[in-house]
Amino acid sequence: MAGIRGILMPQNKKIILTVSGIVLVALFWIFRVSSETNPQESHMITFLSLEEIEAAGDRRIRLGGIVKPGSIVIQKTNLLDCRFTLSQGSHTVPVHYTHARPDLFTDDAEVIVTGQYVSGIFEADELQTKCASRYEGDLRDESSYQLDALNL
Amino acid sequence: MTPVAGAYALNLALGFSLLSILSVFWFHFSKDARLYLVAQRLFLGTCLLVVFATLILTSELLNSNFDIDYVAHYTSLETPAIYKLTALWAGQEGSLLFWLFILSLYCGIVVIQNQNRHYKLMPWVLVILSVVQGFFLILTNFVANPFFPTEADFQVMNGNGLNPLLQNATMAIHPPTLYLGYIGFTIPFAFAIASMMAGESGSVWIRVVRRWTLVSWMFLSAGIILGGWWAYQELGWGGYWAWDPVENASFMPWLTGTAFIHSVLIQEKRNMLKAWNMVLIILTFSLVIFGTFLTRSGVMSSVHSFTESSLGPLFLGFVLFILAGSFALFAKRFSELKSDKKIESITSRESGFVFNNVLFVVLCFAVFWGTIFPVLSEAVKGTKITVGPPFFNQIVTPLGLGLLLLTGVGPLLAWRKTSRDSFLRNFSIPIVAGLLSAIVLILLGYRGSTAITGSLSLFVFTAIFLEFKRGSSIRMQKLGESLFAALNKMIARNRSRYGGYIAHVGIVIMFIGFAGKAFDQEAEWGLRVGENQHLAGYQFNLEKLSEAERPNHYAWIANIRVMNSDGEMLTILKPEKRVYFHNNPNPDRRQPHSELDIHSTIQRDIYSVFAAIDTESGTAFMKIMINPLVRLVWIGGIILVLGTAISLWPGKEAF
Repeated sequence: MAGIRGILMPQNKKIILTVSGIVLVALFWIFRVSSETNPQESHMITFLSLEEIEAAGDRRIRLGGIVKPGSIVIQKTNLLDCRFTLSQGSHTVPVHYTHARPDLFTDDAEVIVTGQYVSGIFEADELQTKCASRYEGDLRDESSYQLDALNL
Repeated sequence: MTPVAGAYALNLALGFSLLSILSVFWFHFSKDARLYLVAQRLFLGTCLLVVFATLILTSELLNSNFDIDYVAHYTSLETPAIYKLTALWAGQEGSLLFWLFILSLYCGIVVIQNQNRHYKLMPWVLVILSVVQGFFLILTNFVANPFFPTEADFQVMNGNGLNPLLQNATMAIHPPTLYLGYIGFTIPFAFAIASMMAGESGSVWIRVVRRWTLVSWMFLSAGIILGGWWAYQELGWGGYWAWDPVENASFMPWLTGTAFIHSVLIQEKRNMLKAWNMVLIILTFSLVIFGTFLTRSGVMSSVHSFTESSLGPLFLGFVLFILAGSFALFAKRFSELKSDKKIESITSRESGFVFNNVLFVVLCFAVFWGTIFPVLSEAVKGTKITVGPPFFNQIVTPLGLGLLLLTGVGPLLAWRKTSRDSFLRNFSIPIVAGLLSAIVLILLGYRGSTAITGSLSLFVFTAIFLEFKRGSSIRMQKLGESLFAALNKMIARNRSRYGGYIAHVGIVIMFIGFAGKAFDQEAEWGLRVGENQHLAGYQFNLEKLSEAERPNHYAWIANIRVMNSDGEMLTILKPEKRVYFHNNPNPDRRQPHSELDIHSTIQRDIYSVFAAIDTESGTAFMKIMINPLVRLVWIGGIILVLGTAISLWPGKEAF
């Protein structure tokens, strides 16, 4: 019996060693990808405030804020070409975006844009909107609740 | 009056729940069996009161009682009846009540099923389930009460309405399906903790919860797949998975749950990994509550998350309470959970399951790490970082391919040890098939993970095919059965095993579908009627632009004729640009919505989004995507769920 145990024990050790090896390699890989500092290789995007935008250089960054009311300008000949002002408190930045826009993109919408800050304009290649406050926030104003106004 | 009855029902349910816990403890010390009966009845009373409260809220939603804040927020007079019903889980308060409703249904079934069984375990099961129920009852009573009256200084004649994105048939079934899976894991968790509390740390609880675990896992899988289907059909970005924190919240318990349904097989067959199974089910349930925390707290920015609320700290506190309590108990019972048996060979099925479990748990950790990394980074470095799909894909792809390999290897290994002969007999044909497919794929120009996925998929298919062939051939030879009868009886005789193989086939098909993502193409154009554009060898011609006024929206409809490179017509796509609340005099209150159209085949989907319309020039702005193999993801998903259903279907296990 002892002899059999002697033969079998290394099998258990082999499994423990293999499992430990897999876990270590996987953890190393996870931390390597997480700690990549080279902007060209990194899969993480830094979220900057509008105050810090000048320091971004040519890095791809992400900004969040509110679409300044009345700032949306859509090109007449190409409705996919859009310019608007992103505001964050008293800070603002002009944004240019040329793709299909989310349905909830409107004045005062809370948006996240990803792209590069080039010559004073943020050239966005991604535009995300948060769920409109009307579906989560306060009830609408009184006029919206009058049946005759809804023309049902 | 009726909403007050709903609120009272929730008040009473909380009281019943607390009394049920007290009765069990009293029973524990006095040993008076009548107290256990009292606890059971109080527990069933809690469940019935929750069901009653849910029915009241549903009725108020259907009747548009805007005196209730929740009804005014999530429905309007124009909302179709089906979506008034689905509004039950559209908002914070309603979805918490809906969570409680499903938990109560499950709890009722558990108590009725085990009324006269498992006397040592059941009192503690009642305590654990009552604690979970009690937590959600505290939330629905004091923090997010769905019966809260409307606070407005004017009479609310119509409600806000349901977000158009949620007015979709898939969205009507995705959340309930996901909830059925998510919440279902409460039952195995309750039995696991009860077994430790009762000092019954053997395998009884494993046998009791086997079917519950599979049912929960099946619903969770179906819920995740339906969520992907909804995102693909409705959101218009052409994908089905974005590694969004809330998507990850459902994926993490799925990963540990999948590890659990595999490792319990070793406990059932060899009485090993008892402690590990306990850890897995504790982790799975903790991840369920952690996922709910992610969704409710507003700590993560996500398209799915509810607005920031005070619920976050409560959920986080509850997760910590579960982890601390469970692991303290685990430490106390650890000596009883240790197994005296050891894995005898690295080429045994047991070790295959261990490797499978390790990969699932590491994968879960990777997803967890990527999900909380932005929060950690901000807390530690003060830098706000976002982690997107490339990060997850880089980490998850190698681990996923490792799991795909084990999907084929595992079933070919024998229990205890695989002999050299058996190894050669079982593995040679699948290995040759895998290698040949790798060569063919490389010759065709495919490289990297695409070639590996293709090769491993054929390896797994061949391995599973041979398993079916071996089993059915024996029956055909010995019993003279036809192929169909042999297959049918073979599956019926061992549903668990063959259902599992069918689920594996589903997973492999899904992997092939995922590989197609690398070849997606897209373009955006403005088209006038009669104009053409080209993408990936297809011609897109805007044939017609029409308009339609419907009960709750106005729509512009584009008819796009799609032709292949031979000039043959494939389909006419009809994406729509809709405006909800179009009659509202205030333009800011009108809600645009793109209703997309997809031409789907096994080879590829042609995906069209009506992005914008210039009514003056009659130009429709379109986004077109060519997405290869996406259909395989849905087909694989259906097979996965079907295989799991076969696995858990009750039947004669012995011939």
